[in-house]
Amino acid sequence: MQSTSLLEKKTSIQPRLSAETRYKRQIGLFLISPWLIGLLVFKLIPILASLVISFTNYQLLGPDKPHFIGVQNYIHVFKDAVAGKVLWQTVNLTLVIIPLQIAASVWIAGLLSSRRLLWKNTIRTLFFLPSIIPAFAATLMWQGYLDPGIGWLNRLILKPLGLERGLAPALVGGIDPIFILISLWSIGPSVLIMMGAMQSISPEIYEAAWLDGAGRLTRFFRMTIPLITPAIFFSLTLNLTALFGGAILLDRGNTYRGNISSYDGYVNYVLLDLFRVGYASSLAWVFFVFVLIVILILFGTSKRWVHFPDRER
Amino acid sequence: MARLSQKLFSPRLRQFGHILPFNVFVWILLLFYLSPVFFIIVTAMKPTEQLTDRNSPLYPASMVRYEYQGREYPLYHVPTEAGIQQWALIKPRRATSEFIDPQHPESGPIQWQGSWRTLKRVYQFHIAWENFTVLFKSLLFPRMFLSTSLMTLIGEIAVLTSSIVVAYGFSRFSLPGGNLLFYILIATILIPEKVTFIPSYFVYVNYLHWRGTFLPILLPLFFGNAVYIFLLRQNFKSIPVDLEEAAMLDGAGPLQRLFYVILPQSWPVVITVSLLYFFYSWNEIREVSLYLGSNIKLMPLSYGVQTYQSFTPIQNLIEASTIVVLAVPVILLFLFQRFFLQGLVITGMEEGTSSGV
Repeated sequence: MQSTSLLEKKTSIQPRLSAETRYKRQIGLFLISPWLIGLLVFKLIPILASLVISFTNYQLLGPDKPHFIGVQNYIHVFKDAVAGKVLWQTVNLTLVIIPLQIAASVWIAGLLSSRRLLWKNTIRTLFFLPSIIPAFAATLMWQGYLDPGIGWLNRLILKPLGLERGLAPALVGGIDPIFILISLWSIGPSVLIMMGAMQSISPEIYEAAWLDGAGRLTRFFRMTIPLITPAIFFSLTLNLTALFGGAILLDRGNTYRGNISSYDGYVNYVLLDLFRVGYASSLAWVFFVFVLIVILILFGTSKRWVHFPDRER
Repeated sequence: MARLSQKLFSPRLRQFGHILPFNVFVWILLLFYLSPVFFIIVTAMKPTEQLTDRNSPLYPASMVRYEYQGREYPLYHVPTEAGIQQWALIKPRRATSEFIDPQHPESGPIQWQGSWRTLKRVYQFHIAWENFTVLFKSLLFPRMFLSTSLMTLIGEIAVLTSSIVVAYGFSRFSLPGGNLLFYILIATILIPEKVTFIPSYFVYVNYLHWRGTFLPILLPLFFGNAVYIFLLRQNFKSIPVDLEEAAMLDGAGPLQRLFYVILPQSWPVVITVSLLYFFYSWNEIREVSLYLGSNIKLMPLSYGVQTYQSFTPIQNLIEASTIVVLAVPVILLFLFQRFFLQGLVITGMEEGTSSGV
């Protein structure tokens, strides 16, 4: 793998390109130019700008003019107990929610792509339905659903089981259970991605395994899951970034009470309530670096467990 | 014995017996998974008086009342020697209360020993359509629908066009730097929004004075969305290049090839991506509250309803307004389910990167 990519690099740096290749490159560049401009204007420049701002004491409603104060903001971030707490909460949340989301979406996608399933389209659509309930409404809905007096959890599920009083939804690792429920009820896009991957597995492989006497569970855990690891990896990345406030596929990755996470909420508070732009920028940058490290670790481990079809050639 | 069972159960029936438990299981799971949706629908139809009563039925129902001497009194299930009677409560008192029997009003008030608070009210099935009337009176739905539709439509056209063109560029043309640009594309998916948000917000609000307009929300969409570009590119890549080569020999330019060769084969993914954007835009409140919050004329549906819900702590009105927001996305989901549910194929990541047209 290493050697071929080096080879490719060498050929691509070759000084003389044929006229046709150059023409194709120009067209390619022309086609992706909207994205390139967007990258510059909406990503790179703002990122650099917020880096610059993070070294100033810029305040929206301050008496003094903004000037550079060096790394003071960053020192402040590392001393800020609230920042540490909200970052820890966000990490905690991620560790609870992401595994649940991935497991649930693999499981449901497996059920929905089974050949034994009748009325496939209707059932798949119905499973997607809760994912399009807007986050703000979902929050209030779950509050009503879990209400100890009139909520359905108590009246429909716990009361018949004789558990009425005992099981008030407890905090899970300091996390509001509504947050977990909302993220489990918004796995629609992940399920779609997993389903797409499962459908592209050729049936012959399963038939061969079936002939060899592999049971249903063996086939699912030993064949399906390894073959859909690229999809798992992709939706892991998407869910993670949704939780960290990156790209969001539906309106909540996991929006809850207006904030993606408690860290996000803290930055909003510093920015929009305290108007401390410089400090908010450094908070955002610390988080950016933190996310980068997490993503790099994730991508680093991906070679071990993600089955990329092309790598085997 | 085995022969008999073979005779009794035709192959089809046996096959059905084989798949039935699985389907029953999926249906039970689905019922459980959809129970919040049922909760929304049922609660939206409940009369307000039913909401605070723990003993009220789970279905929408109103309290039954009885008119006696020109005044209305609520009916209660009262345990008596002759079994449980439905009596109207006239004078509630702590130890003894006065009831009237609607069947024999002429016999006058009946004294009943015990606390009336322990009694259950009598309900009858009743759908409170008036919840929706209340909503339509207190919220300017036509205007909010118009605002949201306009914003979503423009955004949809912008983000789809740009993402399709860019995805085509990524899928079929070798670009300078090899895959580097594509890796940058993926990397931009992962950037937390906050780090780009602060400077952009101040440029939009303080320098361009775009607060209260759609511009800060819509402008970035004209430059493509990294996730959509990625999803479209993966799909375009899975289309064989032969047809395109034929079209090229006939003198079709790159954009013509995109429109006449690639797009006709990619409707499922294009529809999936556009629905994903639609659901996002229709429900989005964060950007909308930051940039449009001050402009009531352009107040979109999601933000209007969210504001209403946060000031109205009445569950039936909350769920009724949720249904109003959900109506259009649900209709679209069911209309396009055939395309939408083919799934998103993201594998074949690196396949044939070197083979351009």
